[in-house]
Amino acid sequence: MLRRGKTLILVALAGFALVLGGCRVADNPQRSPNDPSSGALVDAPNDWDGKEVTFTGEAIGELMVRGGKAWIHLNDDAYYLKNVEEGAHLGGYNSGMSVWLDTELAREIDIFGDYKLQGDVVTIVGVYNAACGEHGGDMDVHAETLEITAPGRPAEDPVTTGKLLWAIGLAVAAGGLYALSRSWDSLSRHGSRA
Amino acid sequence: MILRPRKQDHLLIGKYTGKIVIGVGLLMVIPLITSIVFQEWDTAVDFVISMSACFIFGFGTQIVCRTERDLSWSHGLVVASGSWIVATIIGALPHWLSGHEGSYLDAMFDVMSGYTTTGLYLMQDLDHISHGLNMWRHLLTYAGGQGIVVIALTFLFKGTAGAYKMYVGEGKDERLLPNVVQTARAIWLVSLTWLVIGTAALFGTGLLLGQEPVRAFLHGLWVFMGAWSTGGFAPQSYNTIWFHSLSYEVICIVIMIAGSLNFALHWALWTGNRKELRRNVETVSFTVTLVVTTLVATFWLAKSGVYPDAMSLFRKAFYQLASGHTTTGFSTIYSKAFISQWGPVGMIATMIAMAIGASACSTAGGIKGVRIGIITKAFLQDVRKMISPESAVVRAKYHHIRGILLEDGVVRGALMITVAYMTMYALTAFVGTLYGYPLVTSMFEAVSAGSNTGLSCGLTDPTMPDLMKVLYIFVMWLGRLEFMSVFALIGYGYSMLRGR
Repeated sequence: MLRRGKTLILVALAGFALVLGGCRVADNPQRSPNDPSSGALVDAPNDWDGKEVTFTGEAIGELMVRGGKAWIHLNDDAYYLKNVEEGAHLGGYNSGMSVWLDTELAREIDIFGDYKLQGDVVTIVGVYNAACGEHGGDMDVHAETLEITAPGRPAEDPVTTGKLLWAIGLAVAAGGLYALSRSWDSLSRHGSRA
Repeated sequence: MILRPRKQDHLLIGKYTGKIVIGVGLLMVIPLITSIVFQEWDTAVDFVISMSACFIFGFGTQIVCRTERDLSWSHGLVVASGSWIVATIIGALPHWLSGHEGSYLDAMFDVMSGYTTTGLYLMQDLDHISHGLNMWRHLLTYAGGQGIVVIALTFLFKGTAGAYKMYVGEGKDERLLPNVVQTARAIWLVSLTWLVIGTAALFGTGLLLGQEPVRAFLHGLWVFMGAWSTGGFAPQSYNTIWFHSLSYEVICIVIMIAGSLNFALHWALWTGNRKELRRNVETVSFTVTLVVTTLVATFWLAKSGVYPDAMSLFRKAFYQLASGHTTTGFSTIYSKAFISQWGPVGMIATMIAMAIGASACSTAGGIKGVRIGIITKAFLQDVRKMISPESAVVRAKYHHIRGILLEDGVVRGALMITVAYMTMYALTAFVGTLYGYPLVTSMFEAVSAGSNTGLSCGLTDPTMPDLMKVLYIFVMWLGRLEFMSVFALIGYGYSMLRGR
């Protein structure tokens, strides 16, 4: 009996490990269009500090205007042309650079990427700072020019029928168990009073 | 002789674990509503599935595990640690269903990191996730900071004597009020008050920084949750570099430090005892070690000439060190900049700050300031004994809410847990080096995971070996619950197999 119990536990653990290891393939072939990429700029900041760089990436999040200047963030990662919500394969963390530029230039960007949107792909030319004195030591690029190289678009993430059916089925099961649990509770309360 | 647990023991543990998982399911109402408000239908369906799974487990156990017994100490410890595992397995469903995780193990990693307020993550393409999922990530860490048992105690328990044992099992031992349920509610009162003030401050600052009102509010709320819980999750992959703002950083530092203070200290301040802030052994210890580690890092960074001026240098050094010492994990530098810019000395200073951590009975992790304070006092007491006449009686005291005589038992307890943490850090780092990572890198990441900090120098990555992911999940859990209840659960499992 004990041996059977141990075998069951081992089988359950092995099954669980298989489920855990069941990966979505992280095989997104998309690479950064930049040389140096944001990763290279972080890995070897001194090699590029103070030099002019050309940097292309998806405008992400939002435009933060600070008077005549503004902050934008450009991601040059595996998702800069197509994101996971649109069906892109996984390809690691996001990666990008903060860019400081004239507000007028920054306002040319129409769409910033988020859950529902794939942002405009933008190319800027500017000076890379490993630790910017003007911005409290932040690593950034001070851009002089900006060009939209690919417009953004809405990103669709429709609900699949299979998922919806699972949701309905599980919700009904949960509701049923709740009702059963409540009725047993009231039965046992009545029983103890009697 | 080890006694095998009886059916009644399993029923009791199942019943209370189920209640806590129901609490996790109820928590999912908030991200579900968020998804509906922002019309993120796929995410909303994910949360319906996940909530249903929680309720099926929770109500299922209430039906199957019917018992009126109260919890003993070992039951309380097993429920506390076991429920964190079950809550992690089921709580990982929204992450997994989102399609942003490489495997279910990665999803569990992120959820355990959230509950334990660590802040390391394996989620990919974070910058394109829904508001609902982002709300869940931050809510996890906010709830985990108070403790998921505390949540269940607040809303789902009627105050059994055994409830205190679960509360202790979650790594908290302060009774702010005589009743443990009232204590749990007091913790929530403090946390929710700070939530309102902190979110308002960050929201207002976000607006001034050029954020749209909705984003400013959501970012303010989430960054508050990340800071107060000392979790370190942030809504964008850039973490708090995103804001490029000194004022935002200052507010974050205030919230991080507040979150890292003992809830008993908060309660003392709440009830008018302001002197406690400068007398408490934990705040004194924290201040000293924060100043020393910041000075070391600043000296090194100044010597290396990484930052162009004194203001930038101090701003970067103090922010990362305060974040590390409070075990928050927010950063205003890129992860790999720890290696490429800060170098080994800067990393070691940060590592020491993370290893020590902040206050006991707070949202923070690490060895804790109170233990460092006690060990230091005991050391000084021994030195005084050595230089005093043999007949002299040398006594030492430390102040925590009240003056407490330093006794051998207290020192032994502090030393034991300190040694346990150091061993955990060392063994985890050792495994990293076996996989070929450089020593300082694997030490940094091991301390960060074990102290529930979440600062990363780039080792933590979706492509890291699965065994290291499992190990990090284990040490995050072990570090957060401070060993005893995890050992109780392991002992329970062992006695099921080997007991008579």
